[in-house]
Amino acid sequence: MDSREEAIYNKALAAMALMGFLSFLLLSIYRKPVSLVPFYGAITFLTIVFIGYFFTGWIFPNSDKFLFILAGFLAELGLIMLCRINPELFKRQVAFFAIGVGFFILSSILTKYFVRLDVAPFYFWAATAALLLLPLFFGVERGGAKNWLVFNGFTFQPSELAKITFVFYLASVLKEGKVNSIYRLGAGILAVTGLLALSKDLGGAMLFYFTALTVIFAATSRLDLAVGGILSAAVGGIISYNLFDHVRVRIEAWLNPWRDVPGRGYQIVQSLFSIAEGGYFGTGLGLGRPDFIPAVATDFIFSAFAEEFGFLGAAAVILMYFLLVYRGIRIALRLNENFLVLLALGHTVMFGMQIFTIIGGVIKLIPVTGVTLPFMSYGGSSMVMSFTSLGILNGLWQRALEGEDDDEA
Amino acid sequence: MYEILAQIVKFLLIGLIYYFLYNFLKLMVLDLYEERRSSEETVYYLQCEDGREFPVRSVTTIGRAKDSDIVIDDPYLSSKHAMIYKKGRKMIIQDLKSTNGTYINGKRIKRAVALRENDVITMGSRKFTFLRREARGLERGSDL
Repeated sequence: MDSREEAIYNKALAAMALMGFLSFLLLSIYRKPVSLVPFYGAITFLTIVFIGYFFTGWIFPNSDKFLFILAGFLAELGLIMLCRINPELFKRQVAFFAIGVGFFILSSILTKYFVRLDVAPFYFWAATAALLLLPLFFGVERGGAKNWLVFNGFTFQPSELAKITFVFYLASVLKEGKVNSIYRLGAGILAVTGLLALSKDLGGAMLFYFTALTVIFAATSRLDLAVGGILSAAVGGIISYNLFDHVRVRIEAWLNPWRDVPGRGYQIVQSLFSIAEGGYFGTGLGLGRPDFIPAVATDFIFSAFAEEFGFLGAAAVILMYFLLVYRGIRIALRLNENFLVLLALGHTVMFGMQIFTIIGGVIKLIPVTGVTLPFMSYGGSSMVMSFTSLGILNGLWQRALEGEDDDEA
Repeated sequence: MYEILAQIVKFLLIGLIYYFLYNFLKLMVLDLYEERRSSEETVYYLQCEDGREFPVRSVTTIGRAKDSDIVIDDPYLSSKHAMIYKKGRKMIIQDLKSTNGTYINGKRIKRAVALRENDVITMGSRKFTFLRREARGLERGSDL
C-alpha cells in the first residue's frame, strides 16, 4: 500500500474520531438530566470502526479502505442525527452497525473466494421472487408498505436482501453482453417490479426497474432498449396514476403540497420547512425542530441533517455519496470478466439510484417514495444489506487486483 | 449555555466534515493521477512504410477519425479501425469491426491477438511494422 494514501486515510480517520467525540459530547449534555449514553455509544461506534478497519486491513492487505471509511463516516453522521432525534433508536442502530461491519467482512471474503461465474440466472431470479413473495403472504404493514417480516419481535425487510440477489440475476443473465431473449428478460424484470408494486413499495419498484435498465444498457449498449424501457415506465406511471389511489396521493403531494398542508402534503411540507430553516450553516446540533417531520428517523433523515448542519453539511453528504459511486464505477472499470463488471456496476447503480430517489424525494425534486438513505437512515435491514453490498464491491476489488497480478506473471 | 456551545461547535463540525471530504477528494485525484501514469507511452512504436513513426501508448486507437491516437487519412480504413492496448506485459491488437479488416503478417485477425516484435500490420492499403524502441527506452530509463 502506498504510504501517501495511508497517511490520508489516517487523517480522515482522525477527523472522523474528532467529529464523533465533539458531537456526541455535545449531545450528552443536550437532554436533562445529563446522561453519558451518547458518549458511550460514540466510543462503541468508533471502536467498531477501528476494529473493522484494522481487521479488513489484516486479512486483505490491499482492501479498499476508501469504501469502508466513507461508509463509516456516513453512518456516523446518521448516528449523530438519530441520537439527537431518539436515543432509543440510536442504541439499536449502533448494534446494527456492528452487525453490518461483520457482514461487510463476511461478504468480502465470500465474494473474493466463492463467487462462481456459472450459476444459472434462473436461481438468482427465483431467490429474488421468493424474497419478494414472502412478505405478501406473511408480512405486516409498516408506513404504508407491506414489506416487513416479523419473527418473534425481530423485524426484517426481505426487499433489502432481494436487491443483492436481483443484481446477481441481472449480471448473470447479461454476462455475454447481449440479450438472449428479450421477452424472458422483460418478463423477469416486470415480475419483480410488479411484486414490489403489489406490496405498495413504489420506491423499491422504481429502484429495481431503473437499475435493471441501466445495467442492460451498460451490458449491451442498445439505445432502443433504454428508450423503450423509459417509455414503458412512463406509460406504466400514467396507468398506475389513474388506477391506484396511493400513487395519485403521492404524485399530487409532490406537484402541489401546499394545497393540503395538514393532510397529504404534511410530510413533504415539514421537510421543506426544515431544510429552509437550516440556511447555510444550519441551526446547530439540537437546536432545530426536525421532530415535526413524520418518519424523520428513517426516510427523512436527510432533511433533519440539512436543518441542523445546513446547506453546507447537506452538500458535503451528497458529495460523499458521489465519491462512493465514483469508487464503485472505478472498481467496475478495473475488472476483466463481464459478469464481475456487471455485478460491481449493478451494486453501484443500486446505491446511486437509492440515494437519488430518497434525497430527490425529500427536497421535492421527484415524488416521495419510501426508500432508506443507505448508511444514514435508521433501519437494521438497510444498514446490514448496504454494508453487504459494499463488501461485495470490496471483494470484487480484490479480484480485480488479483487479475492484474496474474497478467504480470 | 447549551445553545452557545452548539452554535460554536456547529462551525467546528462543518469544518471537520469538509476536512474529511477534502482528504477523500485528494484520494480521488491520486487515483486519476495513477490512471494517467499508466496510460503513458510504452517502449513500442509503429513504423509506416514511408518512414513515419507512431508511438504506441497503453491504449492506442487507429483510424480515420480525428480523435484517434493514430490518425491515418486513407479511404480504405474505417473511422475506428483497430486498437492496440497493453495487458500485463503483452501488447494486444484488436480489430474494431472494420470494413476491410486488419491483417497480421498477412492473416486477417478476428479476435484480439498478442503482438510480437517485427509483426507487420496491414490496414487498408497501409503496412506498419511493430517495433521496440531500444535506444530511447534506455534514455528514458536514465531519466527516472
